[in-house]
Amino acid sequence: MQGGWRACGPRLWLRHVDKRVKVKTRRQEHRGWLLSVDPVSASLVLVNLVESRASVCVVMGHAVEEVELLQDGGGETGEHIWSFLNPTPPCSLDA
Amino acid sequence: TVATTEAAGGDEEELQQEQHARSVLRERFLRCLLAMNNKKVRFNMHENVTVEATFGSSDIDVLNFQVSDLHTPIGVQKEALIRSQDVISFTFDA
Repeated sequence: MQGGWRACGPRLWLRHVDKRVKVKTRRQEHRGWLLSVDPVSASLVLVNLVESRASVCVVMGHAVEEVELLQDGGGETGEHIWSFLNPTPPCSLDA
Repeated sequence: TVATTEAAGGDEEELQQEQHARSVLRERFLRCLLAMNNKKVRFNMHENVTVEATFGSSDIDVLNFQVSDLHTPIGVQKEALIRSQDVISFTFDA
């Protein structure tokens, strides 16, 4: 996926969501659970749970050099992570 | 013509899937932006520059971030816009 993160498109981005990923930029490397990818800017939202707190990192799409899948999400991971960001679990805007 | 109709049908389905993926991702991203509001955020910028500020919001294209109390090396800027092109990543604690 080198160099082509922006070109991957929303369907491939969605397949990475709720999974643990490694994101490389020119100088740094970030790891975390992928909460979402902004389809407009291709930026990634990564979350790491540290001692019952959530540390959130947004990596800007233009700076991404490589994204690697590390681990599939396990069961409650997604909801568990959202509980740190929102008092209520996410519901669809369509509902 | 059957083949072209089928191809068009496939494209239509693909487009719908893509639009659905786009809307799911965008909604989740917007919820993250909401969660960032009023949080102390650390911006990692080019040339190893790190600045801290209180996150406000971003514009719809995510071209600029609106922040308050931006701590720069030459002082604290009460209100500021940060160009997203100048940012590599940013972090906050939820």
